[in-house]
Amino acid sequence: MTDETQAVEVPERDPGRERLAVGIGVAGWILPGLGHALQKMWGRALACFLTVGALVVIGAAMRGNLFTSDGGDAFASLGYLADLGTGSFYLVAKSVETSGPDVSRADGDYGTRFLAAAGVLNLLAALHAYEAARGRKA
Amino acid sequence: MSLQLSHFQAMLLFALAISVAFGFLSRRPPLERVKYILWSLFLFLLIGVGIGWAMYPFSH
Repeated sequence: MTDETQAVEVPERDPGRERLAVGIGVAGWILPGLGHALQKMWGRALACFLTVGALVVIGAAMRGNLFTSDGGDAFASLGYLADLGTGSFYLVAKSVETSGPDVSRADGDYGTRFLAAAGVLNLLAALHAYEAARGRKA
Repeated sequence: MSLQLSHFQAMLLFALAISVAFGFLSRRPPLERVKYILWSLFLFLLIGVGIGWAMYPFSH
């Protein structure tokens, strides 16, 4: 039995690239798909934009609950964080949902889930864009 | 603007959007993406309908 150890190559950290990656992640959060578009990943950019956009528009059209900062309890705060994940599409949802939420029907309840899922999905996409910019994902 | 969908239509739209996003984010070759999207969509629907039927006895 040998006592050899294999050297693991640790890539050098480049502060410039790290800052760029953070900027790309934030851009992807603000406008769904922008983080990937800046890296010329057009298919992923379009998919993120369209899927997050569709979930937001459908959720708002179903009169889902779009949480605000003055929610009052932990669930409302978590819902607000999830909704904020949609970035600028939060404002789109507000403009679509002119007559306010109606969760007395199943449609409104589904709409709430659509909006929250859109936010979490966009955060996932932004994180993916950030990792790709760091060179960790293809 | 008010949209009214059945439970199944809502689930179908939700599953489709999430499956497409996951497929594009996790796979790069086009054929792999399509396979992933279809498989994910199928599992979403299967598990959704399965859970629906599993809850059926409690609604009566």
